[in-house]
Amino acid sequence: MDKRVLINRIFEEGRKKGLKDMEVFIQESNDFKLRVFKGEVDELNISKEEGLSFRCIYDGKMGYSYTEKLDETSIDMLINEAVENASAVDSEDVEEIFAGSKSYTEVDSFNTKLENLNVKDGIEFAKSLEKEALELDKRVISVPHCIFNKQSMHTILVNTKGLNLEDKSNIAYSYVNVMVKENDDVKTSSKYIISNDFSKFDYKVLAKQVVDEAVSMLGAESVKSDAYPVILRNDVAADILGAFSPIFSAENVQKNLSLLKGKLNKKIASEIITIVDNPFMKGGIASCSFDNEGVATKYKKVVDRGVLTTYLHNIKTAKKDGVQSTGNGFKPSFKSPVSISPTNMYIENGDKSLDEMIRSVKRGILIIDVKGLHSGLNTVSGDFSLAASGYEIIDGRINRPVNQITIAGNFYDLLNNVLEIGNDLKFALPMNGFIGSPSLKIKELSVAGM
Amino acid sequence: MLSKSVIEDVLLEALSTGGDFAEIFVEDKINNSLLMIGGKIEKAVSGRDFGIGIRIFNKTNSVYAYTNNSSRENLLKVAREAALALNGVKGDITLNLMKSEIKSIHNIVLLPRNIEKSKKIDLMKRAYFAAKNYDEVITQVTVRYSDEEQNVLIANTEGLYVEDKRVRTRTAIQTIASRNGEMQSGFYAPGAHMGFEFYDKINIEDYAKEAARIAKTMIYADYCPSGKMPIIIDNGFGGVIFHEACGHGLEATSVAKGTSVFAGKIGEKIASELVTAIDDGTIPNAWGSQNVDDEGTPTQKNILIENGILKGYMVDKLNGRRMGVKSTGSGRRQSYKYAPTSRMTNTYIANGKSTKEEIIANTEYGLYAKYMGGGSVDTSTGDFNFAVMEGYLIKNGKIEKPVRGATLIGNGLEVLKKIDMVGNNLEFGQGMCGSVSGSIPANVGQPTIRVQSMTVGGRKEE
Repeated sequence: MDKRVLINRIFEEGRKKGLKDMEVFIQESNDFKLRVFKGEVDELNISKEEGLSFRCIYDGKMGYSYTEKLDETSIDMLINEAVENASAVDSEDVEEIFAGSKSYTEVDSFNTKLENLNVKDGIEFAKSLEKEALELDKRVISVPHCIFNKQSMHTILVNTKGLNLEDKSNIAYSYVNVMVKENDDVKTSSKYIISNDFSKFDYKVLAKQVVDEAVSMLGAESVKSDAYPVILRNDVAADILGAFSPIFSAENVQKNLSLLKGKLNKKIASEIITIVDNPFMKGGIASCSFDNEGVATKYKKVVDRGVLTTYLHNIKTAKKDGVQSTGNGFKPSFKSPVSISPTNMYIENGDKSLDEMIRSVKRGILIIDVKGLHSGLNTVSGDFSLAASGYEIIDGRINRPVNQITIAGNFYDLLNNVLEIGNDLKFALPMNGFIGSPSLKIKELSVAGM
Repeated sequence: MLSKSVIEDVLLEALSTGGDFAEIFVEDKINNSLLMIGGKIEKAVSGRDFGIGIRIFNKTNSVYAYTNNSSRENLLKVAREAALALNGVKGDITLNLMKSEIKSIHNIVLLPRNIEKSKKIDLMKRAYFAAKNYDEVITQVTVRYSDEEQNVLIANTEGLYVEDKRVRTRTAIQTIASRNGEMQSGFYAPGAHMGFEFYDKINIEDYAKEAARIAKTMIYADYCPSGKMPIIIDNGFGGVIFHEACGHGLEATSVAKGTSVFAGKIGEKIASELVTAIDDGTIPNAWGSQNVDDEGTPTQKNILIENGILKGYMVDKLNGRRMGVKSTGSGRRQSYKYAPTSRMTNTYIANGKSTKEEIIANTEYGLYAKYMGGGSVDTSTGDFNFAVMEGYLIKNGKIEKPVRGATLIGNGLEVLKKIDMVGNNLEFGQGMCGSVSGSIPANVGQPTIRVQSMTVGGRKEE
């Protein structure tokens, strides 16, 4: 059934039931994902999916419903469930269906060249990547994961207040994980590339990065437990910032779930830190001209030279705080109610190269990987204790690989203890927004080992 | 959900290019979730997941495709597209689908969709007030209620044709304690493969108070010291240690490719003789149970380790082909959006002989992890990590004081050998397990156990 026809039918039925403010959000995607193992296509997934979510104001409250069966048979369920869900809400916060912003900045997140990339091209890339990784070093014994993924998305946001927006985007992604072995010592490493510009996908570069890093970890041992000066490599710093990004959500602040409450316009970080949320970043995976409520997105500094300048808002939280939405009203999935998330959010580059930062450390640790981000850190308290690996630095030089350690501290302390910032901004895999950071030199963190 | 003739046509179309096995998975699922913060319902959403997954094997290669559109034309088109990824010649196929009726071992009394929302909200309010009124340091309580009714149809070219219904409900309670500008949290999330009658079988207030007690204990706790020490891990969700340290490494997903540290070790002693570990998908109404797995194979009780000897792996159909063994009913997936692979169900270390009191009394110095958070593992190396939600220092056989912020790290092969005491108080805890085939409900369990030595990542030097 044609999507526009279905949307109109839903609104018609809703009006019959006395609804006035209604909205439909449709997400369609085409996707292929493949995995190569020992020179063969081990798994190939092809998908075409669509989902529709509906929301409406009933008795002053917002109710949500959704379906993956986009036809007439779902209309009654959508409306009845949304009305029932609205009746269940008893929060006093006011929500609304939005009529639209004055203007929207155009964002180009759809690459037509990528659209022509087919399964065969993906297979060829992944096969070359695996082969290259296996041949680079005889200590590479297996490539357990060699994945290529392409996705095209199309979203439609239409409401009864006249909003009518569409967005198209596409993205490709490759992930490789290698196992290396020397004597009985097995080590692994993973690398990825994500972009909608396929010309940036260089299997040789990716293979070299992952193999070099895995080999560099052979012979790793723990260190003595102590407080050490630490450099968080760009990808690790980005992962940690990403995991703590919910603290900037006004929703969490208002619900007493973020320690940034009451910290607006106060210093929360070292003055060399500026954190930007930039929905217009070229090549940004989260770049977009409007959020899931239809509000125009905007560039803003969240932390300006150490001072917290704004929280991230959607319409509801902005209204409560008497400010404008920052255009961060996003849903984790089409099924979810509107929440808050960053777009492309990153710590701005400093002026030091990673080498310069290493040279400035007398005795410390360069962290190149952390594990357990979903469990070993607490966004409410700011505490973290993460399994980590990296290299010991002695007298400004990398001395040996280190593993089976943890790094522990508190994120709010860490922000204040950043001594130097690298010039090597890198983005983590998108989770809740697309989050980036340069390498960060931290005064010290507790390291547990032997 | 789909007519037999459509299913047959789609399966045959899927084998049109030389595939030797095809499967169709139809899912129709009703979901409901409610979010309560500070005693008020903030968000309520419900909806219907619907989709069809088609899978084709050609020896040990697999193609998977899925779609939301269940029209005959579309399904045939999707099957054809998937088949085109293989370029062989159509073999000789006769298809004879035989519908097998499942006798459910999971008694469901009250289907959640027939329960009024107000009853669900009442339950959440009871949890909220029990936690909020526990102590004045409790400054915020978040309650998430969810239920789901998943109806699946699975058919394949071996003649399998089966339908199953899975009904699950869970209530997650998160508590925040605040004091002197600091915040700490507690969490408890009971769930079951059961209808709304689950909440008659448990007292949600007890769980809410326990979540509040954890947050209160942690707000007064000091930071945990670092270093290697003996660890006592309590029963219930503590079983996450086995899940991470060993369970994932026993999934055929990594064993079949020889990339698991446990590959090729059947019959070898890999753990202390005190350790017997089991994955049992047949426990009535347990969180991780199902009548059949997501490939239609009946779930079963799989002995993984018996008295320290590795006995078996958890195997799905595709990896079974790779390994030359049968499926153990372990093929699971989050939804039709994922091809199934071997996963855990209800995984636990069996009871031993010690009492918890003996274990603590026999420990001169160490960490007692009363409640665990989540964790993860690298199955290639066996290196794992997991978080301690509520911990205590033990000195001279006695619990001395609570400590916060600890993470435990180690290596699966090493830690299994270092389990030197196993209690007699087996219990389960409910979790969501994320892996290649998505996020699925998984039960973890164990009695109280002691590990001789493990690295504790804390923040304080002793």
